[in-house]
Amino acid sequence: MPLGLLTWMLIGVLALVVIVFFSYFNRFAILGNRIDNSLSQIDVQLKRRADLIPNLVESVKGYMKHEKAAIKAVTDARKALVSAEGLEKRVKANNQLESALKTIFALAENYPDLKANTNFLELQRELTTTEDKIAYSRQYYNDSILNYNDLCKTFPGNIFAGIFGKKSREYLQITNAERENVKVEF
Amino acid sequence: MEKTRVDFRDEIARNKLKSFFLMLVIFAVIVILGYVISFAYTPDAFFGILILSIIVSISYLLITYYNSDKIALFSVNAREAKRENNKMYYDVVESLTIASGLPMPKLYVMPSKQINAFASGRSPKNSVICVTEGALEKLDRRELEGVISHELGHIGSYDIRYMTLVAVMVGIISIISEIFLRSLWFKSSDRDNNKGNAIFMMIGIILAILAPIFVYFVQLAISRKREFSADATAVKFTRYPPGLIGALEKIKYANAPEKKITKAIAPLFFANPFKELGSTHPDINARIELLRRM
Repeated sequence: MPLGLLTWMLIGVLALVVIVFFSYFNRFAILGNRIDNSLSQIDVQLKRRADLIPNLVESVKGYMKHEKAAIKAVTDARKALVSAEGLEKRVKANNQLESALKTIFALAENYPDLKANTNFLELQRELTTTEDKIAYSRQYYNDSILNYNDLCKTFPGNIFAGIFGKKSREYLQITNAERENVKVEF
Repeated sequence: MEKTRVDFRDEIARNKLKSFFLMLVIFAVIVILGYVISFAYTPDAFFGILILSIIVSISYLLITYYNSDKIALFSVNAREAKRENNKMYYDVVESLTIASGLPMPKLYVMPSKQINAFASGRSPKNSVICVTEGALEKLDRRELEGVISHELGHIGSYDIRYMTLVAVMVGIISIISEIFLRSLWFKSSDRDNNKGNAIFMMIGIILAILAPIFVYFVQLAISRKREFSADATAVKFTRYPPGLIGALEKIKYANAPEKKITKAIAPLFFANPFKELGSTHPDINARIELLRRM
């Protein structure tokens, strides 16, 4: 018995619904993965930064023999970064490290021999670049959360979010302490 | 009147929408042109012309599309940028690939004292960026970031692919018009006995002459919309409009001397009424204005 026009239309509509269902499911999965991936990206940059520190300390120690406090601040901050658990703590530890590094670089201005050392200059450049990359990876993390939240809140995404049990995610928070300018201490 | 703040995300969406509608305009021209001309031919002959022109356009453009990066790099004498000699260049691009989520493109440098850059490649995975020596020398880090993020914006929006598609459609129109106009020489007399047919012929001829010119300007308009969109995307990646503004201003003033020369011999040239309409890039001042509002 041949299927009537109405039946074909019904099949068409059903097929469309199935396709839309799948595409939203996949979209949530993709955007969710992107968030997780960008989170680990931040960690990659933080680790890179931590790895550069021992080299810096070595190259600086010989020249800045009397700046023990400043050098200690850097090594301590690095330890804190490496042992911090959870993204929020790691980002906070990174800000501590940034402060300690600013001090070292400011002090380095008084040591012309050190400033002429190519190794030191190279490390300085690397560290600045890594700080940029940390900032960009945090930005991208927040961007990917925005995309995900947009999908969860707009129509018809919000319906599917309810069905799949997807909830809006939180942005990377900045504590009030971090909003103050990073201080340089002599 | 105070100019309101513009959100870069809205700018991106707005320009992509405009370029999409302009593309529909080109598509409409294909349909109208085809419809009118089809009255001059039998349906089979018309389809023959249409398919021929599509095949020719697409083949030509597929070849250029798959090699667009090689062709572009070759035409400007670009050489591969080695990381050891171009640390800032690599650092800047790497940082921006993190901000944009795009894969790392291949980097090239071209010998030119001007400040300029371009991106090519059919997809982010197969992309290249090329900057001039002048750009690397004259721009500071923030300004270079602005330029590179604009280029990455093009890559991320698949602008090369998009403009290729537009070029295919414009090419189809040109070929159809060309074939139609040329075929008028060879028309047999018994086909145009019909008076109604003659009117369509007239319309067809007018359209065939005007359509290619019209869609050429539409193509340029689309290109300008994509440029505005890339500017907004640059802000999205860097969140620092002054970087790109700085680079644009340096480009503006670097070109100034040449403008002075042109003014002196301007009487030799006709005034150019198509100055705004006839360019692939929006007016540089308009770009700076818009960026200041982001």
